[in-house]
Amino acid sequence: MSIHGIDAASGAIPNTDVPRFGLLGVVQGAVDALNGILALGAAIAIGVAGIVLTWEVAGRYFFATASDWQDELSVFLLVGATFASAAWIQARRGHVAIDALAAILPPGIDRVRRVLADVLSCAFVTFFAWKSATLLIEAVGDGQTTPSSWGPPLWIPYACMTAGMALLAVQLALQVLGSAHRDATLVR
Amino acid sequence: MAPLELGLAYGGATLLALFSGMPIAFALGGVAVLFMVFFMPGASLDTVAQNVYEELASITLLTIPLFILKGAAIGKSRAGKDLYDALHTWLNRVPGGLGVAIVIACGLFAAMAGSSPATCSAIGSSGIPEMRRRGYSPGFAAGLVAAGGTLGILLPPSIVLILYAVAAEQSLGRLFLAGIGPGILLVTLFASYAVLRWRHEFGVATAAGLPSEILRQDRYTLADKLSSLPRVLPFLVLLTGVMVALYGGIATPSETAGLGAVLALLLVALVYRAYKISDLKPIFAGTLGESGMLLMIIGMSLLYSYVMSYLHISQAAAGWIVGLHLSKWLLLFAILLMVVALGFFLPPVSIILMTAPIILPPLREAGFDLVWFGVVMAVVMEMGLIHPPVGLNIFVINRIAPDIGLGPIIWGTLPFVALMAVAVVILSFVPGIAMALPDWVYTK
Repeated sequence: MSIHGIDAASGAIPNTDVPRFGLLGVVQGAVDALNGILALGAAIAIGVAGIVLTWEVAGRYFFATASDWQDELSVFLLVGATFASAAWIQARRGHVAIDALAAILPPGIDRVRRVLADVLSCAFVTFFAWKSATLLIEAVGDGQTTPSSWGPPLWIPYACMTAGMALLAVQLALQVLGSAHRDATLVR
Repeated sequence: MAPLELGLAYGGATLLALFSGMPIAFALGGVAVLFMVFFMPGASLDTVAQNVYEELASITLLTIPLFILKGAAIGKSRAGKDLYDALHTWLNRVPGGLGVAIVIACGLFAAMAGSSPATCSAIGSSGIPEMRRRGYSPGFAAGLVAAGGTLGILLPPSIVLILYAVAAEQSLGRLFLAGIGPGILLVTLFASYAVLRWRHEFGVATAAGLPSEILRQDRYTLADKLSSLPRVLPFLVLLTGVMVALYGGIATPSETAGLGAVLALLLVALVYRAYKISDLKPIFAGTLGESGMLLMIIGMSLLYSYVMSYLHISQAAAGWIVGLHLSKWLLLFAILLMVVALGFFLPPVSIILMTAPIILPPLREAGFDLVWFGVVMAVVMEMGLIHPPVGLNIFVINRIAPDIGLGPIIWGTLPFVALMAVAVVILSFVPGIAMALPDWVYTK
């Protein structure tokens, strides 16, 4: 169960929603690879945010150096990590939902409910990704920065938001198509 | 459409979206956008992404992933087992010491890890088998650990209290301190119940006159006791060090979260030699999964609350509650009852962010201290973690001790739900249990 006292099993829940063969399998494979890269980046971002904030305390306490960039950098890193990992989490069905009706509805109707929930989620996330992209284009075009004296460009978090939500929309679309494919296979 | 009618439609649409099985984050965001389309100026739709970003880019909220990282580092190590073993060694002469050790270990671990499921899993995986081996009933053992695990949302650094601080615009430092007294109260109540249960089971075993594990008395030498300390003390130093950094003015809450996460990773690396990629992977994967899911819910809940406020739904609903002219305590009772009911199907994060704009103005008007209420609300939401049908800790226990069965686990948790209700009553009559510490620290 454990190596050096660490539970090695967590975080390794396989994605079984989308078939691993045919065109869907190829696309899901590509999305998995992208998800993996973004999740790695997100994990590094969280770790770096921790180090940056620790440095802020150490710098102020031991070297009496005050700076204004750490908080803002940490916000960028953590907001970026949240959106960058969104599709990776969805691939594992990690965005929690209320599944109370699953135990009550007949299996056929429940399948429709699940697909409908994914379709509605996909529609919302696609809309959000579109609005994020609009925001990104504006931020790049206008050269928007945060109002602080450090003033980092806002396109950085907006780009994470756009990329993360777009990939999340693709992941949800794959899960919708995967469910339809599975149902068609079951009917046959 | 009048705001109250709009509110009913908003609530109805939310329930429909939530029960459709959509992830909570997307359900809340989707309903908010739908009402923006129909009831708000078209230009407001252009600000959806910006609203969510600006709400998430909060220095208080960014503590959440880092506190989760700290909890994951400690939770996925053997620290929980070592802590419980050490306490068991030191408390073995106390009547019912095994149960008391489990409750105290849960409290300390919850304060270090800040997570209820992680506490249940870490303490329960060794504590429940030991209690069963020593003759305690499986349901009681499971209930004790499930209840002890709930302390994670009350003791600092509680993520629930961080969110409440944002939603209620209250001082996070005061809230963290206010959670300590009630946390100790609950530990005392749970430990007292554990002693009473031990006395009962000990009495039954003695009367039967048959050999029983519960009659056996372990003996530990001073050397045994001292040898248990090296693995535990560093984490206790981390726990107190982080609090000293926060309240000694050395670090802000966000810096404390960063510092705590980095130190926890260092300690796990030093004490358990967990520094390889294969060791760090589950820690970061767990952090990413939990913090990404939570922050997505938080971002969308804040968008949901923004729409509710723009359409004057929250103001109208708050005004309606005030207009009922309920007595102070009846108002509190009704609101807490609603929190319990929402706890049947919503996680604490969503309950706080969705209800705060509606319930806090009437409570403020009735003269309640909102820091005190935040802590009481946290205790009530703790109940939601162990009462059926969706008590998260029940399912965590069921995963680590599947042979007990859901029925006995649920029956085992019910006395603790009652004890939490008793704690709420005590806190209502003696608010100083929560408020004395923050008042003392902040008026020094």
